[in-house]
Amino acid sequence: MKQFVIIGNSAAGIAAVEAIRSKDKTAKITIISNEEYPVYCRCMISYYLAGEVKEEKLFYRPKDFYQKNNLELILNKKVSRVDPKKNRVVCEDKTQVGYDALFIATGARPRFPAIPGIKKKGIFGLRTLKDAKEISSLIPVTKSISVLGGGLIGLKAAYALRKRGIEVKVVVKSKQILSQMLDNPAAAFLQKRLEDNGIELLLGQDVTEIIGEGDIQAVKLGSGKVFGCSMVVVGKGVEPNIDLVKEAGIDCKDGIIVNNLLQTNIPNVYAGGDVCASSHALWPIAVEQGRLAGLNMAGEKIIYDGSLGMNSIEFFGLPVISLGIYKTKEGDAAYEELKVCDPKENTYKKLVLKGNILVGVILAGKIKNSGVFLRLIREKIDLSSIKDRLLADDFGCPDILDLVKDKEKVYV
Amino acid sequence: MKSLSYDVKKCLGCKSCEIACGLAHSLTQDLFKAVKEEKLSLPRKNVYAVKGKNFPLSCRHCDDAKCVTACMSGCLVYDQDKGMVMHDESRCVGCWMCVMVCPYGAIRPDLKTKIPLRCDKCKDKDEPACVKACPTGAIIWKETL
Ligand SMILES: Cc1cc2nc3c(=O)[nH]c(=O)nc-3n(C[C@H](O)[C@H](O)[C@H](O)COP(=O)(O)OP(=O)(O)OC[C@H]3O[C@@H](n4cnc5c(N)ncnc54)[C@H](O)[C@@H]3O)c2cc1C
Repeated sequence: MKQFVIIGNSAAGIAAVEAIRSKDKTAKITIISNEEYPVYCRCMISYYLAGEVKEEKLFYRPKDFYQKNNLELILNKKVSRVDPKKNRVVCEDKTQVGYDALFIATGARPRFPAIPGIKKKGIFGLRTLKDAKEISSLIPVTKSISVLGGGLIGLKAAYALRKRGIEVKVVVKSKQILSQMLDNPAAAFLQKRLEDNGIELLLGQDVTEIIGEGDIQAVKLGSGKVFGCSMVVVGKGVEPNIDLVKEAGIDCKDGIIVNNLLQTNIPNVYAGGDVCASSHALWPIAVEQGRLAGLNMAGEKIIYDGSLGMNSIEFFGLPVISLGIYKTKEGDAAYEELKVCDPKENTYKKLVLKGNILVGVILAGKIKNSGVFLRLIREKIDLSSIKDRLLADDFGCPDILDLVKDKEKVYV
Repeated sequence: MKSLSYDVKKCLGCKSCEIACGLAHSLTQDLFKAVKEEKLSLPRKNVYAVKGKNFPLSCRHCDDAKCVTACMSGCLVYDQDKGMVMHDESRCVGCWMCVMVCPYGAIRPDLKTKIPLRCDKCKDKDEPACVKACPTGAIIWKETL
């Protein structure tokens, strides 16, 4: 009987397990995680922190999931190294598990900037349910908090803590928030919405020191300015959890390198999700990679055709979606931008085209047809015949019926 | 398993189906009361007009549903027996991942309730409200494979 080992009990790991089981009902599957919970949705821990979602809602598979699928789940155990020569993984407590095929889905962890004071108590990343619980437990004794970083995690943390009634200041190095997913105008929309709801944003600034004897008292900015707070949440990006393959001879460069079958340079070792090099660190991508890796581990040969950066966020009632190339260099003649902006209605729509083919989109306020645009991007459809329709309010799937690959069956 | 299809030639774009859909999913089930409900019941079907033709559009319940894969809260599940994407609203957080990926734009984000709305084929009734409401017989409700 074949033995599969999966390291990481999260988006990529679980998707892989489900894919393997869909092909192979009898193989032995062992999942190892250093966390203490059954699979939960990492993206939702900020909703939990905000008090909007109860803990049990985070667990996105039924309670009997592991049992029903005949999976061995080992929690609270860290794999310290992968040993491809002997086809086994070695855990911190020296226990070993052998495998025929291994899937590494160890994800990533928050990156903490190397500044004085960063090791103090009261400084948190927001990556795990444990982090969220620890932060949450301090809320009764916390009046103000500084968030480092204006990306997805920083803002989600800021939103959650504001919802819990805490004074929040977010220190953002770049001149706009969410520079990894939005252009300037869309970011400005969202910025206003956050500020209107009591979140203070300090753009173009950097924290250079965290001050306090024992407990945190303040943070210091590059400008020399100091402001008080008793907790710090760091959202300055992530780094892949690759310590376990350091001596395994598995190729890495800012993450594990995989081919288009999600296979590492060692044929029976696969990797997927945030742990991979050039990953976008996004949930749907981790799921997709996990699923394909699982199918391939079970004997298929399905090619992964690359991931497209995309995300959907909403703060205080303003939804924003970003797909693909959302920002181009000013004056770059290769790209064309079509946009409409209605500040009164709080809507913004920008389409980025390259040679009449859609390559990126930002939608704020009105997001309904996002998936139609995603399809146009994915299928690389020449849009010259419908260019004048793209920005129309009533543009939708029926506009592209003649252009897409799959012909419609519901219209006769 | 039955599903919806449309005879585009017959559709006049009168939007009776939209109204019937909104009404069917309202609390009061009464048009004049429904428009005053606190959480206005929005239609899960829209009729698009393109080049002189009308296209009613709603969730097709794809069997390889992109929305189910993208859903992060686990509130969307494809039910093989029913041939439907089932939505557990109590688990939904309104992250709009499903809206982001639906290739048909058939999921409607209700920003007020933070719940994405989609056709549920009027699950408790034998015939969807839109089918009943269509005056020209453009909406077809029949057994598919
Ligand atoms: C607060 C927050 C909000 C987010 N919001 C969004 C969003 O809106 N949209 C989006 O697309 N993405 C979002 N993300 C990102 C998304 O959660 C990740 O992309 C996704 O979780 C990656 O999945 P993964 O399976 O690759 O890794 P992870 O989810 O990181 O899981 C890896 C698992 O492996 C375990 N592990 C690591 N090393 C070892 C070891 N040596 N031994 C045993 N176990 C180990 C880890 O503890 C962890 O449980 C968010 C993330 C956070 C933290």
